[in-house]
Amino acid sequence: MNTLNSSSAPAAGEYAGDEVAAIVLDPGYSSIRAGFAGEDVPKSVCPSFYGHIDSDSGSQYLYGENAIHTPASNLQIKNYWGSDGIVEDWDTAAKVWEYAITSRLTGARAGDPAKNGLNDGTKENGNGDAMEVDMETIENQEKPLEESPLLMTEPGWNPTKAREKAIEIAMEEWGTPAFYLQKTGVLAAFASGKASGIIIDVGASHTSVTPVLDGMVLKKGVQKSPLAGNFVSNQIRLGFKQSQPEIPLTPHYLVKSKTPVDAGMPAQAVYKTFDIPPTDSFRHYQEERVLTEYKESVVEIWPGPGRLSNGTNEEIAKNTPGRPFEMPDGWNQVFGVDRFRAAEGLFDANAALTDDANPRPKDEHTLPRLVQAAVQQVDADQRPLLLQNIVVTGGSTLLYKLGDRLNYEINALYPSTRNKLIAPGPVVERKYAAWIGGSILASLGSFHQLWISRKEYEEHGANIVEKRCR
Amino acid sequence: MPPFKDEQIIIIAPGSETTVAQLGLPESFTPARLRMRSRMFPADKPGEWEPYKIRRRNDKVEAPAAEPQDGAPEDVESKTNGTDEDVIYEEDRVSEEGAVWPIQEGKIVNWSCFFALVTHVYNALNPPFHTPILLIAQPVWTPKEHEKLTQFFFEKFKTPAFGLMDAALASSWAYGIHTSTVVDVGKDKVDVTAISEFIPHVQGRTSSLAGCGGEALTQSLFAKLAPRSWSRDMCEQLKKSPICEILPVGAPLPGAKEAGEEAPITNPAAAASTGAPGSGPAAAASIGSIPRGPGADTEVGDNDADEEGVLDVASIVTGGKMEEYLANKEREKQEKADAKKKGGADAAAAANANKPIRLPNARRERATFFYEDHRLLDNLKNMNLGSERLAEMQVQLDEGPQRQGEGANGEATSAAEANGSVDAGNTNGLSGPIRRELEVGTERFMAASNGVLEKIADAVHRTISSVDEVNKRSELWDSLIICGNGSKVRGFKEALLSTIQSKYLISPSSATMFTSEIPSNISTPAGTGANTPQPQLGPHGGAPSHVNPLLYAATTAQTQHPMPHNPTSHLPGLSHNAHSSHGQTPTSIKLVKPPEYFPEWKDVGFDESAFLGAQVAAKVIFVVDQGQSKGYMTRPDYNEQGPSGIHDYAL
Repeated sequence: MNTLNSSSAPAAGEYAGDEVAAIVLDPGYSSIRAGFAGEDVPKSVCPSFYGHIDSDSGSQYLYGENAIHTPASNLQIKNYWGSDGIVEDWDTAAKVWEYAITSRLTGARAGDPAKNGLNDGTKENGNGDAMEVDMETIENQEKPLEESPLLMTEPGWNPTKAREKAIEIAMEEWGTPAFYLQKTGVLAAFASGKASGIIIDVGASHTSVTPVLDGMVLKKGVQKSPLAGNFVSNQIRLGFKQSQPEIPLTPHYLVKSKTPVDAGMPAQAVYKTFDIPPTDSFRHYQEERVLTEYKESVVEIWPGPGRLSNGTNEEIAKNTPGRPFEMPDGWNQVFGVDRFRAAEGLFDANAALTDDANPRPKDEHTLPRLVQAAVQQVDADQRPLLLQNIVVTGGSTLLYKLGDRLNYEINALYPSTRNKLIAPGPVVERKYAAWIGGSILASLGSFHQLWISRKEYEEHGANIVEKRCR
Repeated sequence: MPPFKDEQIIIIAPGSETTVAQLGLPESFTPARLRMRSRMFPADKPGEWEPYKIRRRNDKVEAPAAEPQDGAPEDVESKTNGTDEDVIYEEDRVSEEGAVWPIQEGKIVNWSCFFALVTHVYNALNPPFHTPILLIAQPVWTPKEHEKLTQFFFEKFKTPAFGLMDAALASSWAYGIHTSTVVDVGKDKVDVTAISEFIPHVQGRTSSLAGCGGEALTQSLFAKLAPRSWSRDMCEQLKKSPICEILPVGAPLPGAKEAGEEAPITNPAAAASTGAPGSGPAAAASIGSIPRGPGADTEVGDNDADEEGVLDVASIVTGGKMEEYLANKEREKQEKADAKKKGGADAAAAANANKPIRLPNARRERATFFYEDHRLLDNLKNMNLGSERLAEMQVQLDEGPQRQGEGANGEATSAAEANGSVDAGNTNGLSGPIRRELEVGTERFMAASNGVLEKIADAVHRTISSVDEVNKRSELWDSLIICGNGSKVRGFKEALLSTIQSKYLISPSSATMFTSEIPSNISTPAGTGANTPQPQLGPHGGAPSHVNPLLYAATTAQTQHPMPHNPTSHLPGLSHNAHSSHGQTPTSIKLVKPPEYFPEWKDVGFDESAFLGAQVAAKVIFVVDQGQSKGYMTRPDYNEQGPSGIHDYAL
């Protein structure tokens, strides 16, 4: 029984996961989705950002939406993701994930000091080994996931080390009885009812293009680029900065009350004063909320044909009616062609706004080039099949007319095949596609043979995840 | 025939402070009949709980003799301990010393205590067999906890049917509105839930936002008044009294010379450092009250005890200086009475300065209310006085209007009683807690000065912004429901609404107003075939009332998008810009009008609208539709599916 592979069902120690509702955890850069398998939307959506207060009395960590929006003097807002789309700070990641699960799904266990201290916990560090000792002595010490198997998602480029770490956390820290790791691309395809296809996932920190064939990711075809939601936000910031006069970006927490002013006029708001101003990271995070609103209500992607810079397109864009936007401090303006420029960089590296801190993005990182590179890696005879099933997912694909543009670009690249874009209508299906796929997968009766049970983990170690979760 | 009858249904709504429940649905819905403080007292055996405080008494001489004729609040239930005859236990139905509150910030923190509380409530209702139970669930309760509760209710009470209903959803049922934003202000927390088409938006809801409820208001008052040696309990009662008020943003504090350039509510620092702002003699003269400096030391006016901070009578009593204090008090009373008789005496004029002028509360600089001193009573009881003596002391200390005479509806006490414990349902003047008259300055307007309103406003904005269906947002903004007993404080709702409005309301952009007069998209025909603007109102119809209709039409027409450039590539769901005039929300913010057709509820207010909604829902799911909507779980369902089946049934 030493040859483990996904095609032969393990007989011993097999976990009957369909009897108990499994938990599906889909962590992303902007938010963490968690919920019970078999449901149609995740019950718990928590921000991946967390608060960190470093004071004399020790450092304090704050998790969850409620804790990170109140200005406090030395509250830092951080994210556990690294810039390469891989979890960087594993200790905190485990805590934030645990919060996402316990706060809305399972509930904190009574009498469990580790849980009770979740939101005021100063005993953050050393949790690992201190816990080990406790486990022997305190009998009623329960782990948060002792009853539920856990299906977790991972990006297509997750390295072995990170995968092993994930199963370690699930098994050791949370005590889950069974575990499985699946790539977001596959799950997003499942959510649309496809086993094969090209999954274009435009998230917050990364855009990825994943070719999936019969439920398996073609690893060498996975493409990623940093041109995603955060990139668009930065483009908007740059646009504000470079406009004449500069457009002020004031987050809500700085404003006490505002008065209506004429378009383009300086704001006349009553501002709040702080003895010690909140940190830059806090401000940045709060500004991001304003930018999200801006993206939702103003930004539009030039739908084609051609790029925005092509021929008379820019003229046409100029003549489309502008859309007004009001800042939290009351400053308002109608945005004309600027609103097309903010996201043009996703498709056309030349169109991206640049400055010293934001160099020109690479050509191969634009969406059309990513799709091209991904398709390139697939056998020629499979390409038509995949191009018929192009699944669009991720929160940033909700940018207005992104689908139109993508459709145009792909048809321009592959004029001879029948290309079909599958972009789910309801916003939740777009935002939570990977989670929904996981929910479907984990509730399938035939899935339970895939679970890695605790027994198997104890026998084979963390490396089992490499063998079983492909 | 419906499976259940109206009079069989039990509704229980547990809360952090008060648990309300009712057996049977009356013809016309009434506020909950049973109100209980959500607390239990640990019994002698750990893990067991008692509904009332059990006091151990050691004296055997005085007490038993005096008991028969006493009308004191404690329902004495003396029983001698088997081995030690000296020890007597008595139940104290008023005291809350050592109580355990199983629900905190909406979360159930002590399950055994919570179950004991529910059992106590259930027994107090004394239901017959075959009673279905509808439990109102706090938003913060997790699915796993729902299962735990389901198991408990089925196995402990053998109920034939059990339903769970989300508190926010219940409120929207009460208002009979399918899309709304429910702001539920509780004791220590606030829940903000966006509900669209009767489905709560779970992902973005703000559940159990700590430090924003009624307790935060009390603490804020306490922070202001603690230097004047007020206790927390006094502040709590001040908050409940009608003289405590939250003024809308920008309203000046009484006594201030003019509307300050900064709103008083949101400026705690300035207000706190100077006491009452603008306490110059001119201001005082204009209002006719006593000017006040920053602290108690600079006080001018008469020598009333309350003026120099509040006397801690409770500690005087324990300190054994009782007689002295009483004598003093008697003398004072006498003096006061004399002064009153004289009428023109300076002292009296000062003392009663603000009485003749019947100003609205918000304009008066100082006001008084009656404080029920529970601690004093506790101390008296602990002193092992005889009941007669106790009663005597109570009468002497009580400053409140005689309850029998003037009735219990003295302005100050009525509000406190509405929230007070019903367990001591005794109206006898002697039995009530000792009341003392307290006077307070402008601090009473500063309950929300610690940023509570802004925190809630931010949560509302966040919650609505997280709703995925962008076109629903403006409707959500237009239908705010503020409920929960924490919002009972006078002016709270108005102040919260004005805070939200002043921060988040988007005014129609003047830019679109001017440019729209020359519709620029007509003059230059684009190659897209989109040169015919189609001015029409957004899907939400008419313009918000306060917006100039011309302006509204202009902005609406302006934001109409040309036809899609590539008609072949229709993607479903990109209804992104489908909502009204502005891409942004909110362009108007409104509270939902409470329903008209519940006369009993109209009298007490709709702060507990969740309970009303539960009544409506109970009527519907248990009686009207005969169980067709699967709004509850039956015993056979439970036997078949176990606790986890509740998720298929819960509303």
